[in-house]
Amino acid sequence: MSKDANYIEGYKPRRMAVTTAFKKYWQLYLLLLLPVIYFIIFRYKPMEFIIVAFKDYKLNMNLWDMPWATTKKEVDIFKWFVKAFSDKNFHTALTNTITLNLLDLIIGFPAPIIFALVLNELTAKRYKKVVQTIAYMPHFLSWVIIYSIALQLLAPSSGLVNIVLNNMGIESVDFLGKADNWVWTYILFGVWQNFGWGSIVYLAAIAGINPELYEAAAVDGAGRFKKMWHITLPGIKSTIVVLLIMALGGILGGNFDRNFAMQNKLVLEKAEVISTFVYKRGIKSLQFSLTTAVGLFQSVVGVIFLLSANFLSRKLGERGLW
Amino acid sequence: MKKVLAMILVLCLVLSLCACGSSDTEEKSGSDNQTTTDTKKEEAPKTNTDNASGVGTTLAQAEDEEEVLVMEDKDEINILTNGALVDGKFPETVTLKVECYDRDGDTPANDNMYTDYIKKQALDRYNIAVEYVPVPRWTEVDQINNLLAAQEAPDICYTYDYATIQAYSDMDGVNDLSEYLTDDYKGLFANLWNWLGSAGLLAHRDPDTGAIYAIEGKRAEYYRTATFIRQDWLDKLGLAKPTTAEEFENCLIAFRDNAETLLGADASKMVPFSLATDAGWRASTLIESFMDPDITDKELYINGFDERHYTQNGTKDAVKLLNKWYNEGLIWKDFALYADGDATEGDMQKAGYVGAMICNYDIPFRDGENSINYQLTQLVGPEAKFVAVDTFKDKNGGYNKYAYTTTGSDRKIFMPKTNDKVLASFLFLNMITDPEVINYLQLGEEGITYTKNADGSVNIIAADADHVANTINSQYNIDYTMTCNGLHLLDPEATIKSKAISYANVDPADVAEAIRVADTDAKFAPVVNVGVIEAEAGLGNTLSELRNAGYCKSITASEADFETVWNDCMNQYLTAGGQAIMDERAEAWQRVLGDKTMY
Repeated sequence: MSKDANYIEGYKPRRMAVTTAFKKYWQLYLLLLLPVIYFIIFRYKPMEFIIVAFKDYKLNMNLWDMPWATTKKEVDIFKWFVKAFSDKNFHTALTNTITLNLLDLIIGFPAPIIFALVLNELTAKRYKKVVQTIAYMPHFLSWVIIYSIALQLLAPSSGLVNIVLNNMGIESVDFLGKADNWVWTYILFGVWQNFGWGSIVYLAAIAGINPELYEAAAVDGAGRFKKMWHITLPGIKSTIVVLLIMALGGILGGNFDRNFAMQNKLVLEKAEVISTFVYKRGIKSLQFSLTTAVGLFQSVVGVIFLLSANFLSRKLGERGLW
Repeated sequence: MKKVLAMILVLCLVLSLCACGSSDTEEKSGSDNQTTTDTKKEEAPKTNTDNASGVGTTLAQAEDEEEVLVMEDKDEINILTNGALVDGKFPETVTLKVECYDRDGDTPANDNMYTDYIKKQALDRYNIAVEYVPVPRWTEVDQINNLLAAQEAPDICYTYDYATIQAYSDMDGVNDLSEYLTDDYKGLFANLWNWLGSAGLLAHRDPDTGAIYAIEGKRAEYYRTATFIRQDWLDKLGLAKPTTAEEFENCLIAFRDNAETLLGADASKMVPFSLATDAGWRASTLIESFMDPDITDKELYINGFDERHYTQNGTKDAVKLLNKWYNEGLIWKDFALYADGDATEGDMQKAGYVGAMICNYDIPFRDGENSINYQLTQLVGPEAKFVAVDTFKDKNGGYNKYAYTTTGSDRKIFMPKTNDKVLASFLFLNMITDPEVINYLQLGEEGITYTKNADGSVNIIAADADHVANTINSQYNIDYTMTCNGLHLLDPEATIKSKAISYANVDPADVAEAIRVADTDAKFAPVVNVGVIEAEAGLGNTLSELRNAGYCKSITASEADFETVWNDCMNQYLTAGGQAIMDERAEAWQRVLGDKTMY
């Protein structure tokens, strides 16, 4: 069974001297330069600001001149970390981030896979295309618009769903205003927005599976489900693993606009996540040092998750990210 | 061939990247104009820390101060300013960047006939070139935060929130102005001293160090909020104007039960009483009626960090009543789900679905053709309108409510550390405070933007499509008259007479009545200064979020859960810093004023 589409039995790539490689493929390297510059300017250069987490931020000072964080006139570089971890609101944000992201992973991650599998089984070409296009559409809506749609559909007094419920003699359900209901609204809207778009990668992977395998299976008497189980799923397994690793790396991250647009005053205890906490504390209340510390913590945990997921998947015989 | 093609492609990419980079700055200044404003939103939501600091004086006290004479001797000015000014002017043009709120009006906030006038005045008087930096009104604090952090803030900034300035100065981001606020400079800045007095200019002087990081603007009007009810609905149902909370509740019940009569096919859209997420503000007259009218200044001050009275005695009972109304279907069911500043509520008010509300005393009249009352006459019928009523009685039978203190509740003006032109900035502020300048900015030119009546009062001519450049940026251009908030003409008589007729497209009698109602039993909270309260720095935003959430959750809880929800939210507020602030305030009061209970 091939591990990789480009894997050819017995082939060993010859090592090439760096200079030869440069000479031969200089156009490619030149093209590569652009993303490298982008990453240096926008991803690596800003990293120097991590130091703010260990300093007392001053508005009029250059980054390097700012004094180290002090408590009671003594240098205490972990002051902001201690402060963050003793902040109850940060705890809530941390728990919520993990809960929401885990739920998203459990419910949102399999959805595009299932959709891709189902779509793959459709034989009517035109119908398949229409379904696909419609499923992609929500991906292009911003979260602000999605929340407006949610309000139009689910608001207790003016939402369509609740009006229908009322007409059937059922009391309005507060989908958005009760924290527990809100979590499910949030998760399901997330699934709705993303399952179509997320399925593209899987569909591409499925398209790469050798059709002869299906033919052979048919000869052996395998039905649709057997084929799906024994050919399609194993065929896209490595794609699934890579995406799962990346999803685990983002377990403490998350989409700022999704949370910010969807939350309201009544559900903050379940809806406040780290990214919105950082925005409110850092940018709105000017606590740059505190929120840089939180951001740093978030990134470090993210990297740990990413590395361990990668390690695990390699241990289990999968390809991993690198 | 391939190589050439690849080369061209790469060059294209690189060049487009460079092009994007350089156009960045231009785009930025352009995007500043894009704002998400809701011009009818309250003027005050940002003032939640009004009482945080400042010297207490009422209008009367301020007027006791002596008239300062303008320093006219050019040589004297020359000596005073160490030669920075020659013949009263800068020898070389000084460029000043000045913040102005952008309310997304019909003309650019930084380029219209009024900014032209200001620029000309500053250039003629002091050789100062003024450049306005528009900042979206409803996200002003965020924007200024960003500009300050990027060291690109305007030279003169203002905000309603002193806790924000305190946070900036804690980070060494703000100039200490005390050097220019000495007696020596009084003559040079005579307009400032005459209008703001020491009450405004020295309001934020630190009692220990003497540093002054901001000066206080002054309100020319002190009316704050009023309760409004639909006159035509009362008439239709044969109800009298409510004069007690009970009668008010009965009106709401009548609105709810007669939705069919009042709204016909739209009966399901009936909202007897509307609220918004800033519920403390939007229920202010109700909450204040539950507070003790004889409350001591000390108690008021200790609980006063939150301008929405969240921790005051009595507030809980007021919210309990709102909670009852909510559960009886008298309050808009969905109010808490909309974001701050959402236009949905305003649209419902204009469309005529709303029966009553509490808001700034002039909300139904603001914005000419877009005003709520004018829209009602257009969309519902000529008799449809909101009228102000005094309806929530306090325990003494009066209508206890708080007015804006003239000093202490307006904008605070500060100069970031990046401003090395403090003298020029003060001269600009002095110019913008000139009564003649204020008069022009509030009225414009006779015959074009206003006409004079025989009794001296003025009629504002609303700018139409042909005169867009005449459009004012904000009511009375208060965004340009940084030190003066509210109508303040050269002739005090005319000011009073003009007030009610200065709102275009609405009935002046309704405005006059709203002013009367907002003024009835209105009290000034003393503006207490007992030194800096350290615990307050940087918490303004966090606490007002928690307070808003607390109000919203308590109002929307089921009646059985009310106690638990209220207590939980209050606990959260207190542990997040509310208690620390109250403790420090109590301590500071004790330290400075001892056993006194009144300021």
